[in-house]
Amino acid sequence: MPADGDGQAADSDGRPPDDQPARRPNRPPQPISRRALFGIFLKAGLAFGGGLGILAVLEQELVTRRQAVGREEFLRLYGLGRIVPSGTMTALAVAYGYRFAGLAGTVISLTALVLPALVLTVALTAVYGLVRQQQWLPELLPVTILPAALAFIVVAGLRLGREVFRPSRELVLAAASFAGAAVLHLSPVLLLLAGGVAGTVLFRPKEDQA
Amino acid sequence: MSLLELCAVVFTYNALTFGNGPAMIPLLQANLVDRRGVLSTDQLLYAFTIARVTPGQANTYVAAIGYMLHGLPGALATTAAIQLPGYLMLPLLWGYQRLGAVRLVPAFTRGLTVASVGLIFAATVSIGRSTLTGVVSVAVFAAALTMAQLLKWNPLVVLAVSTLLGTGAWVLGWA
Repeated sequence: MPADGDGQAADSDGRPPDDQPARRPNRPPQPISRRALFGIFLKAGLAFGGGLGILAVLEQELVTRRQAVGREEFLRLYGLGRIVPSGTMTALAVAYGYRFAGLAGTVISLTALVLPALVLTVALTAVYGLVRQQQWLPELLPVTILPAALAFIVVAGLRLGREVFRPSRELVLAAASFAGAAVLHLSPVLLLLAGGVAGTVLFRPKEDQA
Repeated sequence: MSLLELCAVVFTYNALTFGNGPAMIPLLQANLVDRRGVLSTDQLLYAFTIARVTPGQANTYVAAIGYMLHGLPGALATTAAIQLPGYLMLPLLWGYQRLGAVRLVPAFTRGLTVASVGLIFAATVSIGRSTLTGVVSVAVFAAALTMAQLLKWNPLVVLAVSTLLGTGAWVLGWA
């Protein structure tokens, strides 16, 4: 998608010019080699902080440093990536890999993105497998790593639900799915799909409801 | 449980939860721990802890589960399975201009996410019941929650301090 078409499209929409960020003199999008693609996504895969940590590296590398992607386009791709049913960062790796190096590029970017986490995960799991048979482990785990893990899950739930915990339609839906799982013991898959369908009614864009 | 079955399960749950790492926990617990019994709650929690202390995407912990059940091929195959839906990005990019009708998609996604929040807390209650069995484990849980949520410490530090606290209590014979 040509980057210079964006400005005109925005004007014909009648959007006020002041919601556009100030632009530097237009440079043509810079190409990115396969080697650089691998390097960028490896760096992203080493980022801590989950999706947002990765996004920060991609923004830094693709938008600010190399100017290979415009800011608006970066945000638009991020928005599209959010509705793809997989990790948002997986979707972005596919999008940028394809854009800079075709289908082979998607394999390069995805491999680089998962490599650091995969290597570390396998190593740590192997260690667990080795010490699992020890006598002291079943006594020690329930007072160390396991309660910490449970705390991490609670924190993740709170973070995911940041906008849920106030009087809102969201809170009602979250409470309903909690009750469905904790009290009625319904299938989580069923509850998720029901939540999605309820969402199309509860969270429909305003202009459609008129 | 065969590797193919495991990949199918992981693929489906990842797609359903929109790649959200923690949101897969209740689904995996219901299927792999409660229904099939191929994984223990301890193993699931250990896998999730790894995800918190390693860099990268939050859903890579399925590789730990793949490794526990099927070794290295399991880790590689489950990792591939959760990357695959990302390719839906390509048709989405191509069809972006004519996607007026898909305005319902963000609403559907939001409904899924909100329902996930409820499910995560339901899973926390059920996992907590089986895990927090003694005074020490409850105390360590409270300490970890304080460090992670209120003090916003790095997960690695939270894990290290929790392990020290718990090990100390165990050495003293409290646990």
